[in-house]
Amino acid sequence: MISPTTPAAGPAAGTGAGPSSATQPLVRIEGLRMYFAITRGILISRHVGDVRAVDGIDLSIEKGETVGLVGESGCGKSTVGRTIMRLYRPTAGRVIFDGQDITAAEGSTLRAVRRRMQMIFQDPYASLDPRMTAAGIVSEPMEIHRIGSGQERHERVRDLLATVGLDPDYGDRYPHEFSGGQRQRIGVARALALHPDLIVADEPISALDVSIQAQIINLLEKLQGEFGLTYLFIAHDLSVVRHISDRIVVMYLGRVVEIAGSRDLYERPLHPYSVALLSAVPIPDPAVEGRRRRIILTGDVPSPSNPPSGCTFHTRCWLRERLGNPERCVAEAPELREMATRHAVSCHFAEEVDGTAEQVQVTGRPGKASSAPTEAPAAPVPVAPTAPEGTRPRYRAQS
Amino acid sequence: MALLSVRDLVVQFKTHDGTVHAVNGVSFDLEEGETLGLVGESGCGKSVTNLAVMRLLPQPAGRIVSGHVNFQNEDLVGLDESEMRDLRGKEIAMIFQDPMTSLNPVLTIEEQMVETIKAHKKVTGKEARARTIELLTMVGISEPERRLRDFPHQFSGGMRQRVMIAMALALEPKLLIADEPTTALDVTIQAQVLELLSRLAADHGTAVILITHDLGVVAGMTRRINVMYAGFVVESATTADLFAKPSHPYTVGLLHSMPRLDAQPGEPLIPIEGTPPDLRFAPFGCPFAPRCAWRLERCWKEMPGLEPIEAAADIQMTGRGATHRSACWNRPTAPEAAAGRPLRADFTPAAQPTEVA
Repeated sequence: MISPTTPAAGPAAGTGAGPSSATQPLVRIEGLRMYFAITRGILISRHVGDVRAVDGIDLSIEKGETVGLVGESGCGKSTVGRTIMRLYRPTAGRVIFDGQDITAAEGSTLRAVRRRMQMIFQDPYASLDPRMTAAGIVSEPMEIHRIGSGQERHERVRDLLATVGLDPDYGDRYPHEFSGGQRQRIGVARALALHPDLIVADEPISALDVSIQAQIINLLEKLQGEFGLTYLFIAHDLSVVRHISDRIVVMYLGRVVEIAGSRDLYERPLHPYSVALLSAVPIPDPAVEGRRRRIILTGDVPSPSNPPSGCTFHTRCWLRERLGNPERCVAEAPELREMATRHAVSCHFAEEVDGTAEQVQVTGRPGKASSAPTEAPAAPVPVAPTAPEGTRPRYRAQS
Repeated sequence: MALLSVRDLVVQFKTHDGTVHAVNGVSFDLEEGETLGLVGESGCGKSVTNLAVMRLLPQPAGRIVSGHVNFQNEDLVGLDESEMRDLRGKEIAMIFQDPMTSLNPVLTIEEQMVETIKAHKKVTGKEARARTIELLTMVGISEPERRLRDFPHQFSGGMRQRVMIAMALALEPKLLIADEPTTALDVTIQAQVLELLSRLAADHGTAVILITHDLGVVAGMTRRINVMYAGFVVESATTADLFAKPSHPYTVGLLHSMPRLDAQPGEPLIPIEGTPPDLRFAPFGCPFAPRCAWRLERCWKEMPGLEPIEAAADIQMTGRGATHRSACWNRPTAPEAAAGRPLRADFTPAAQPTEVA
């Protein structure tokens, strides 16, 4: 059993310190933008706009760490994963993998890097070739990269199938002969075939039945412990992301709104969108549900081809409404700023989210007053969840 | 008197691969204005049960083999198609998981809603249109007069589901069956739709059957829950009782295999091993036995009845005092349910007897 609570649990994380530490992160992305052009016209295609799927993201992933990427559909979380894999060439910004800038890598350079990063997809029915056997699917990456002899590959496939909990003798079966959970295991075995450092898992369990999801989550955790893998875990389900991740990145309309340790994010969310997102996740316990209060966001996510000005969340923000709709949210896009150690948020008024009332909404537990710093700190402020109660009750609860 | 009373419902599908035993004797009651959750994973029969209630089973494969569906003291199983058509929409309405496939893409919202209203009520087009605007306002569609002329694809997923709710409630039905109404939606939109659904149902006194795989959704929405597995109701209780003392190994397994938002990070999950049974084989013994950590030898051979967990209790099917029942020969004790596994010394799940295999 591995414990994903601290990044230091990873075998290669070294110090587990912040991004400024001497250890080099496995993946670093800087100012990443990925726009998809919207074109009109049949003969002459005119560029009439862009879908800003990812609009300026900085993120680093340490070795051995699991970073969860959450957000609603269309927030750009899958695009981030695919751009790191270099399935897209970013519009702007840099992707650095293990110290090597791969933003514009091509051909053999790119192939060499891709050996070290693999992907697990959402739909185990669509991501496996129905005309290949399980063994063929798992050994294909080794064939492409010309690794081992036929006999060695055969042995390795049997090992891999056993590692992911399948009977090695099932190698000559076809995908349709497996259940959804077993197919996802084949997808995991394929991802492991080249001994990758990084695995990008894009909604790996959301197509599976509830009773099967835990099998795959446990398998991914076990493999991380065995092989020292680094995961970028992309999902819309906050409960799952919180379970598996060391750190969580919350995205909204192509931007990062909050980055926090998975415990911190739940105990002390600082961005109004994170608070709303957390409060909307149902908890399977009627006693807890009775005490929680949902923040119902009005309306839908705006179109990423025409995002709102300033803070993109301002059109749906409950905090802005409570503060009397300050102009600053419309005029100025907030920067991601560190409010506590390894806890960054992009909101002009994050100090107003003092965590007391929000905790009741999210957790249903009476809030321990937390220590939200009143001013943006010059130095990182340690999280002190045991600050005296009632120090600064800015407001009680939502009516 | 119960609004809906389903008794010993058996539904099968004839397919090329043989008979699929989709529902194997399901009984439950529902009172006016009550909310009931039907929980289980795909293929457990929760949707088929309700399609059978609506008499909308895919034809000719699907068939109600036996059982009764009493709605307002009338057995729906015996009604002919035209009598059923009068009932659907007016008395019992249904909303589905995917609002894009349940709305007609080539008709405007106005055409579809007015058609629904006029099919069941003697009203003029003008009255029907006014009612449509009123309904869209009720479900929170802004500028309803303008949006009436829009087609479904011009609405977002959450708004389409609101339109579906508006259509379902257009004729003020007594019973609303919501089949995974929020599964296709994002979590913040899910919160909007669930809030709307429970508010409107309470305002109109509509009884609701909420079908879902998500125990979190039913925890906050329903008064009672039936947990289904392989075409059987395996546990039935008030929502509070079900979560406080789950008494079927499958319910316990579901609760422990889903990460909870409020759990400690890193708390291990206990998966339910194996996969759901192939329903092409007639049920024999307890269908959950092959995956169950509590199984006894008897479980391989005999399906237990849905019995009260407290011995000799009177069975009350509905309401706040509904009897907590589970179909299990070897119920998990409270500490075992909390731990998610059997805690008895020297207990090992019984191996499959050779004569059964």
